[in-house]
Amino acid sequence: MIADLFGRKFYMASDTIGAWVMLTLTAILGIILITRAKKWPIIREYATTTHHRKIGVLYLLSATLFFMRAGIEALIIRIQLAFPDNNFWVFQGEKFNEAFTTHGTIMIFFVAMPLLIGLMNVAVPLQIGAQDMAFPYLNAVSFWLFLAGALLVNMSFFMTASPNAGWTLYAPLSTDTYTPSAGNDYYIFGIQVSGIGTILAAINMIVTIVRHRAPGMTLMKMPLFPWSTLITSFLILIAFPVLTIALYILMFDRFFGTSFFSGPEGDPIYWQHLFWIFGHPEVYIIILPAFGIFSDIISTFSKKRVFGYGSMVVALAIIGLLGFMVWVHHMFTVGLGALVNTFFAVTTMLIAVPTGIKIFNWLFTMRKGVIRFSTPMLFAAGFIPTFVMGGVTGVMLSAAAADLQYHDTYFVVAHFHYVIIGGTVLGAFAGIYYWFPKMFGITLNETLGKLHFWLFLIGFHITFFPQHFAGLNGMPRRVYTYTAEDNVFVFNFVSTLGAFLMGIGTAVFVWNIYKSFKKPQKAGDDPWNGRTLEWSVPSPAPEHPFENTPQVVSHDPVWEAKLHRDGELPKASESRTAPIDVVSWQPVMLGSLMLFFSLAFIYHVTWLQVTLGIAVLGFFVVRALTDEHTKKAKEDQAHDNV
Amino acid sequence: MKKLSFLFSCLVLFLSGCSMRVFNPISETARDQSFLILFSFFLMMIVLVVVFVMFARFMWKYRETEENKHTIPEDEEGNKAFELTWTILPIILLIVLAVPTVRMTYDMSAEVTSNPANAVHIEVTAQQFSWTFTYEGGVQTINNVTLPKDRPVVFHLNSKDVIHSFWIPRLGGKRDVMPGENRRLIVTPEETGTYQGKCAEFCGVDHAKMRFTTEVKSQQAYQQWLNEEKKEME
Ligand code: HEM
Ligand SMILES: [Cu+2]
Ligand SMILES: [Cu+2]
Repeated sequence: MIADLFGRKFYMASDTIGAWVMLTLTAILGIILITRAKKWPIIREYATTTHHRKIGVLYLLSATLFFMRAGIEALIIRIQLAFPDNNFWVFQGEKFNEAFTTHGTIMIFFVAMPLLIGLMNVAVPLQIGAQDMAFPYLNAVSFWLFLAGALLVNMSFFMTASPNAGWTLYAPLSTDTYTPSAGNDYYIFGIQVSGIGTILAAINMIVTIVRHRAPGMTLMKMPLFPWSTLITSFLILIAFPVLTIALYILMFDRFFGTSFFSGPEGDPIYWQHLFWIFGHPEVYIIILPAFGIFSDIISTFSKKRVFGYGSMVVALAIIGLLGFMVWVHHMFTVGLGALVNTFFAVTTMLIAVPTGIKIFNWLFTMRKGVIRFSTPMLFAAGFIPTFVMGGVTGVMLSAAAADLQYHDTYFVVAHFHYVIIGGTVLGAFAGIYYWFPKMFGITLNETLGKLHFWLFLIGFHITFFPQHFAGLNGMPRRVYTYTAEDNVFVFNFVSTLGAFLMGIGTAVFVWNIYKSFKKPQKAGDDPWNGRTLEWSVPSPAPEHPFENTPQVVSHDPVWEAKLHRDGELPKASESRTAPIDVVSWQPVMLGSLMLFFSLAFIYHVTWLQVTLGIAVLGFFVVRALTDEHTKKAKEDQAHDNV
Repeated sequence: MKKLSFLFSCLVLFLSGCSMRVFNPISETARDQSFLILFSFFLMMIVLVVVFVMFARFMWKYRETEENKHTIPEDEEGNKAFELTWTILPIILLIVLAVPTVRMTYDMSAEVTSNPANAVHIEVTAQQFSWTFTYEGGVQTINNVTLPKDRPVVFHLNSKDVIHSFWIPRLGGKRDVMPGENRRLIVTPEETGTYQGKCAEFCGVDHAKMRFTTEVKSQQAYQQWLNEEKKEME
C-alpha cells in the first residue's frame, strides 16, 4: 500500500497496516471505556500534575506500554529465528533489522530508564522525608520531554521509517549515505528530546536528595535506594551530555553535509568512542538503582539492616567511577593496540570486585535473618543467582583476547540480557510490587505475583541460557537467519519457547494489575513491616505526606521507632519548606511542541522549524516570568487576613 | 539444589558435547583463545558455586517459619573480617585471570604487525554484502577463500563502504574491517577442511547473508589450485 504525506511516499507493509488498525481500534475502545467510566477528570489530573507520586506513576505506566511493544518485537525476532532458513511474515532483511533496532532502543531508553526513574519519583522523596521533589514543575517537564522522545521513536514504525542501524547506531552505516530514510533521524531526535528530560530529572534528584532530607538524616543514614539514585544521577549528568554531543554531530553529518564520521577527514571510530563513553556508564545507570531497590527490599524482608552499609555505599561510588573507565571493552575487535586493550580489560575486571562485595553483603543481610518470601522478595531472590551468572560471563568477556571470539555473537546477547533483565527488569518488578501500596493504596495480588515471578524467571533462563552456546558455535548477533549446517537450531528453538513463557509471565503481571484494581485489597500504611520513612506516611502517599517533619536519629528510622518508641517517630523542631505544587498544562504542551518541532526537522519543513522553535523559546520566557513563590506568599497572606 | 544439578548437567553437556566451533580450533590463535575462554570459565565457576551454595543455604536455613515468625533477628552492622575476605579473594582470582589475558592480548597484537617469512598474502575486500579475495598474481574469488595448510596467511582487510568484521570462528577471533583503512590479520591454519566464515559486524540489510567459506588445502593442492585459477584468468 502507498500513502502520500508531507510530499513523500510511504510504502506500507502488511505489518504496518495491521499495527495501524490495532492502534486505531485500541484508541477508539480506550476513549469509549474512559468516557463510560467517567474517568476523564483523572486523565486531566495526571496530565497537569506536578506531584512526584503521580509523575512516577506516569513514568511506570508508559514504561509498561513500551515494554509490551518492544516485547512483541522480541517475540517476532524469536519466531523468525526459531527455525533455520525461516521466513516468518515480513521479518527478513530490513524489517528484521528494524525490529531489533527498535527493540533494543526502546528497551534501554523507554523501558529500563523510565521504570527506574518512575520508582525514584515514587519512593525517593518519601524515603528521605521530603514533601516532594525539589522542582515539581521541572519534574513534570522532564516526564513530558521523555514521553515526547519516546513517542517519536515509537511512531517511526507507523510512519514506515523505523531506525535500522542497531541501537548502537554505528557510523558510517548510520550516515545518510547508507541509511537515507528518515528512520535514524527519528532515533536521533527521539533520544535527544527524551535525553533532555533525563538530564533535567537527574538534576532534580540531586537537588532533592542534597537539600530536602529530613532533619537528622545525614548522608550516611540515608537508605540505599536514594544513595544509588544520587550516584546514578551524577552518572547521567556526565554521560548523557556525551550522547547529546554525539547525536548532534551525527545530525550534522546526516542533515548538513559535514563528515565527522566518514570520508577522508572523519573517522567512524569517533562515533564508537563517543557512543560507548556514554554507553557503558548507561548500563550502570540502569543497574545501580536496581541495586538500591534490592538492598532495601532484602533488608526489609529479612528483618535486618543491610549488612556492611558503609561498604555498600563505597561500592556504589566505585562502580560509578570505574564505569567511566571501561568503554573500550566494547571495541576490542577494532584494533586499538595491545596497551589500550589490556588497560581496559583490567579496569573491566576490577568492576567485578565492588560488585562482588555487594552480592556478598546481600547474602549476609539474609544470613541470620527471618526471610519472608513475599513477591518483592521473590524477585530480589531470583535476582542474585541470575545476575551473578551475567556477572561471570561479563568477566569472561573482559578477557580481551577471548573477546575477539565472543564479540558480536549471541554470547554477548545472552550476557547482557542476564544483567539487564536479571538486574534492571527484576529490580523494577520488585520495586513495583513493593511500592504499589504507596502509589495506589492497594497491594497487588500475591498469588498472581508469584505466578508472574516463576513464569518470568524460568522463561528467562530457558530463553537466554542456550544463547551462550549459539554464540560459541559461531552465531553472530543481528542476523535474521541461519542455516541448518550452522548447528544452532536447537539453541534457537529452545530460546523461542522460553521467550513465549516470558511473554505469558508478563501477561500475568498486566492481568494482576487489572485484577487488583477490580477487587482492591486495601493496604495499610505499612504492609511489609517496613523500616524506612515511606512506611510512616499514608498509602497512597498524599500531597504533603509528612505532616510533622520527622527527626531522624538512626538508620532505618521507622524500624527503630517500632522497636524503641512504640512506632512514634520523633518530631523535628524545625521544618523544611515544601516545594510548591502547581497544576499546569504547560509541561504537556512543551512536550507536544518538542515533538512537532522534531518532526519538522525529520521531514525538513523549514518554516515549521522556525515557528515551533520560537514557540519553544516562548515557553522559557513564560516560565522565567512566573514566580510561584511570590504568588503563594501573597495568597497565604490574603488567607491570613480573612 | 535443583538449579545446581541443572547447572552441572549443562557443564557436562558443555564439555562432552564440545562441537562448539570456538572450542575446535585449527590454529594457534584460536587454540589460545579457546584456552582462555575455558580458563576464565573454570575460574568463574568457583565464584558461581560459592555464591550459589551460600545463597541456597541461607535461603533455606533462614526462611520464615511458624516458630521464628515473631522473632526479631539480632542487629548486626557488618563484619570487617568477612568484608575483607570477599574483597581480597576476588582480587587474587582476577589477577590469576589478568595474567594470561594480558599476555595473550599482547601476543595477538604483536602478531598483527609481524612479517612472517614464507607467508601467503591475501587482499580481502568487504563490500555490502560480499567478500572478495585477491591472491598474489591477481587471482580473485568471491565469498570463498582457499588457504594452504601450515603456512602463515596474512589477510589485508579493507572495506569499500561500512564497517564489517572478518571472522572464521575455528581459525581465530574476529577483526573489524574499516572503510579507508588497511588492517591485517595473521593466522596459520593447521588442518585441511572446509570452514565457515562470516561478517560479524552489522552492516545493513543482508548482513546475515554476508558469509564465505574457507577451504584449507595441503600446500601442494593449494599451489595446484592457484595455478589452475591463474590459467583460467588467461
Ligand atoms: C522479553 C524478553 C526478551 C527477549 C525474548 C529478547 C530477545 C532479544 C534478541 C533475540 C535480541 C537479538 C537481536 C539480534 O541481535 O538479532 C535482542 C537484542 C537486544 N535486547 Fe532483547 N529481549 C528481551 C528483553 C529485553 C530487555 C528487557 C532489554 C533491556 C531492558 C533488552 C535489550 C536488548 C538490547 C539492547 C538488544 C540489542 C539490540 C541491538 O542489537 O541493536 N531486551 N533481544
Ligand atoms: Cu560496557
Ligand atoms: Cu555484516
